[in-house]
Amino acid sequence: MTSSSTPETSLPEPTRRIARIRAELFATPYSVCLERPELLARFRKSAEGRQARREHPLTRRARALAFVFSHRRPRVYSDELIVGNMTSRRIAANYYPEGGSVNILEDIFRLEKRRIPLELSAREKWRLAAVGLGGILGSVAGRALLRPGRIPYFLDFFRAKRYFITEEAGVAHQVVDYRTVVHEGLRKADDEAARRLDSGLMPGGLPLTADQRAFYESVRLTVAGIRDMAANLAAEAERLAAEPGTPAKRRAELAASAAACRRVPYEPARTFLEGLQACWLVHIGLNLEDFEQGLSFGRLDQILYPLYTRDIEEGRLTPELATEILASFCLKTCETMPLYSERIDQYFSGAGVAQGITLGGTDAEGLDVTNELSGLILDAYAMVRTREPALHVRVHAGTPKWFLDKAVAVVQLGCGKPSFFGDGAVVTALEEVGMSPAHARDYAVIGCVEMGSQGRTYNSSDAALFNLPLCLELALNGGRRFPNVPVETVGPDGRRRRRGLGLGGRWRRLGAATPPAKDLGTFEDVVEAFRTQVRHGVDDMAKVLGWLEEVYRVSRPTPVNSILTEGCLERGKDVTWGGALYDFTSIQAAGLADAGDSLLAIKRLVFDEQRFTLEELVSILKANFAGHEALRAELAARFPKYGNGHPEADRMTQIAADAFADAVTSHRNTRGGRYVPGFYSMTCHWGFGRMTGALPNGRPAGTRLSNGLSPADGADRRGPTAVLRSAASLDSRKWANCYALNLKFDSKAVQGGAGRAALASLFETFFDAGGMQVQANVLDAESLRAAQRDPSAHPGIVVRVAGYCAYFNDLQPAVQDEIIERTAHGVG
Amino acid sequence: MASAEPRPGRRRDEAKVFSIQHFCLHDGPGVRSLIFFKGCPLRCSWCQNPESWDTGPELAFKARLCIGCGTCRLVCSHGAIRVPAHPWRDPSRCRGCFTCAEKCPTGALSRFGEPVTVDGLVEEVRPEFPLYRSSGGGVTLSGGEPTLQPEFAAALAGRLRSYGVSVAVETCGLFDMDGSGAVRDLLNNVDLVLFDVKVYDEESFGRLCGGGGTGAGKAASRIRDNLMALADGLGSRRGPRVWPRLPLIPGMTDGRENLAAWAGFLRKAGFGGLTIVPYHALGESKRVWLGLDRGPALAAPAAEDVEAAAGIFRSVGIRVFSPGEEAWEAGTRAG
Repeated sequence: MTSSSTPETSLPEPTRRIARIRAELFATPYSVCLERPELLARFRKSAEGRQARREHPLTRRARALAFVFSHRRPRVYSDELIVGNMTSRRIAANYYPEGGSVNILEDIFRLEKRRIPLELSAREKWRLAAVGLGGILGSVAGRALLRPGRIPYFLDFFRAKRYFITEEAGVAHQVVDYRTVVHEGLRKADDEAARRLDSGLMPGGLPLTADQRAFYESVRLTVAGIRDMAANLAAEAERLAAEPGTPAKRRAELAASAAACRRVPYEPARTFLEGLQACWLVHIGLNLEDFEQGLSFGRLDQILYPLYTRDIEEGRLTPELATEILASFCLKTCETMPLYSERIDQYFSGAGVAQGITLGGTDAEGLDVTNELSGLILDAYAMVRTREPALHVRVHAGTPKWFLDKAVAVVQLGCGKPSFFGDGAVVTALEEVGMSPAHARDYAVIGCVEMGSQGRTYNSSDAALFNLPLCLELALNGGRRFPNVPVETVGPDGRRRRRGLGLGGRWRRLGAATPPAKDLGTFEDVVEAFRTQVRHGVDDMAKVLGWLEEVYRVSRPTPVNSILTEGCLERGKDVTWGGALYDFTSIQAAGLADAGDSLLAIKRLVFDEQRFTLEELVSILKANFAGHEALRAELAARFPKYGNGHPEADRMTQIAADAFADAVTSHRNTRGGRYVPGFYSMTCHWGFGRMTGALPNGRPAGTRLSNGLSPADGADRRGPTAVLRSAASLDSRKWANCYALNLKFDSKAVQGGAGRAALASLFETFFDAGGMQVQANVLDAESLRAAQRDPSAHPGIVVRVAGYCAYFNDLQPAVQDEIIERTAHGVG
Repeated sequence: MASAEPRPGRRRDEAKVFSIQHFCLHDGPGVRSLIFFKGCPLRCSWCQNPESWDTGPELAFKARLCIGCGTCRLVCSHGAIRVPAHPWRDPSRCRGCFTCAEKCPTGALSRFGEPVTVDGLVEEVRPEFPLYRSSGGGVTLSGGEPTLQPEFAAALAGRLRSYGVSVAVETCGLFDMDGSGAVRDLLNNVDLVLFDVKVYDEESFGRLCGGGGTGAGKAASRIRDNLMALADGLGSRRGPRVWPRLPLIPGMTDGRENLAAWAGFLRKAGFGGLTIVPYHALGESKRVWLGLDRGPALAAPAAEDVEAAAGIFRSVGIRVFSPGEEAWEAGTRAG
């Protein structure tokens, strides 16, 4: 009976080919690929490897990587139009002995029983154990931290409290210069390196230093390795094409893939297919040299558009075929996953890798460049609807309505994608950290929400995550954590556990020696103590990051990344040496709203209303509100909170954010790059929450913290427009690593043309007001069931129907059942 | 309790509102804020907002939130609260002071019905103006029954429209158009009237929707007359757009006879579009909070029932829509 007032934005159904590949991927169990560490071991034992031990560390590294590239077994899967296997299995995690993969050994005896099971034979498990244990000392964390005086920092990795240093596992998180990959090929870098090596001179006429010579050699070695890998794939495609059973149509496709791999990524791509194939091959190279997180493609709609239009004009391609090729490309991104033990999974749940594609936006002058391909990439994702890739849509005043409508239509599919970025606020923040306007406007999203000017930035964009509310706990207790109390916690998996909050930092002082609570006589004293603790925590974290950077520079440079990041080739410097044009280390805070709301609660309770002294409040918090349940409930339910458009609460959140941003931006990394703050938390708000005592905003000890820029759990009482108003009111100019702001809707609430138009208006209004990032999760029945089982984990789900609207958690279980039913069956 | 509270006079500067909700998509075009007025002349047995019935403020108890702290018992100076025993409140002792709700730390005890002023409401919705503009939305006065507080509603609508905000009113249709003229004022001051059409037959209407006290037994025909008058443009050329909405309640409004009678009437009145709002049981939670008897056990209508009902209207040339999906230009424009 529905007929809509807005014209339907239609999204295509998957083609038969795409449906087949998708079904195959969904039927495939996850596994671990040991090909990479075994090839690295083989290289070390080979004659070349033995000889390389005497060489410069960078050329040694380049030789090792090239050995992996050229010796890995090529696999071409059925139906796919973009070829190139990410691992030796259909879906698997690559293993990085240099990085953090060893954490998986914690689960070695129950790999099949994990929430995300891993399938390995008994023999493979032995090999995994051997590779894992053998690699610990040589890993980046091992080299940097298994040294006298640094052991406690190594152990922090297992009991992350104040911060979680992701950079121990790798840097990755990059958008390299795919524009050059596609339109000029790796040949450009190879030729440049050859010129430097032949002449022995830098362009200015100075002779090459040993490091520069090693760098240019590493370029040539690495490019040769990638060419070998592409050639091996071409040979495999040709072999399959020649097999007698192969149908003629598939034979032609395989021949096209083989021809593409014989040409790209070394030579410039001539066709749309070659362009995408080139990107994919380079992406494999990046995955194999660093680790899998956040390696992103950048603005593919812009990069590929010239090839697309030429193919269309010359009749080689139709929009439908282009969409199918893009969908095949999207499905390739599902072949990989991260390797997290269940313990680490608390911090980074969801098996996400976040291979970002950025769509829409402006050119260097600020004019809209959304094109047909921007829409086709959305269409392609609508066909696959998978956990990867991550899709990001840039929104500015000139964004065409059809495009925003289509992007919101994809949101309505319920996969939480795409997320939306406000060009205004993002570009301002990037200019603030020194980017030229043209480069800032060419930003692309790295991974989930982080940003870089594509092909010009080395941003360790997920270097570490920081527990902001813990700093308040330390500030209230003279730098010590609150005493351990047993608490019942619920993990992201919904499992309840009764446990303590961990012992570390209770015997000795964990934070700075700020005055005890009785000496904090004014609210300003409390804020100052909090700021001191934040600074102290960030200082400690930056120290560890500095040690890691040193190890990266020597033992684990990344030549593939360096070839494709502006500045490196020009200076003869690897990105890990500071070669990139823009260099950042980015730190994200979890629990921002909890910290802000807690400051306001302290101000009101202790200083304005004087209902308790600060000492009394602190002892109530230490006891996790035992005997003060009514106070806890009052703090949680009746105090003003960030996320309701309440100016004082929003101001407190700004104070907490400033404390963090000031502490972070005061640092420089050892490459000379700036530290920049961001506000997102992966699922660290769970992991950190388990280590954090009771907070003055009424949050009990051990429970989840607030996430990104979202309000604290259950604190947003006035709906999504108030949340966005609060978020947009914050000054984000210093937040060059962006933030994540999640909105959740029951799918019925925002369905159809009206829902689409409303969401589009909501986002536009938010960005007009200075918003930076927002994503809307349209929840399916399964998520609602999860919310019913554990209400505290899923606050703020708004359920709406005509003339009625309420928060899901407020409803009677039977009514919740009905809503779940309604969502599951789509009747309404 | 409520009986002890003095009934609000028809003051132009103050009204009782039990909820304000933003980002609503199903009660008029675009993104809207809904202002729920307290007080309704009807008692439809399926009502999803039973907290709207009484004109005075009411105390609600959300048992799930109660931690049994006993604060309410401590602060109640009339000894009306026995915790944690149920029923939690002795209505004979309660004086309706709401101290318990003010002091309840968890919000388990809460008050439905806050006095509001026009200025206060305008400030409450003002931050939403940009979203109204970009989405073509506005404010919808809902309830309860906004026409029970017509002077206030008209003043509010006038102020909002002076800011360029489009205003809709949702009504059950049972109002006195000619009495003080205030209702007519209100209706002339809005852009859209969402007019409920429920039960056609007079006898069934009385049984299912009540409406006693405002001329029992004549309610159904009064509503039809009002709708017809609105369709005729209130004698004014600048009258609001009128849009009928039919709640489809199994066993109550979904009978063939009822639907056919409405279809004929709406066609005669010249309506080109209708929204069918399928029943849902969300109001059940609120009945429990208010300590009311449970509503009738009803299942939401199946998609094919909704389709069958829609067919009856389509057969006389009326287009049928889901809430939030209306093509507003399909309705009649009075005048």
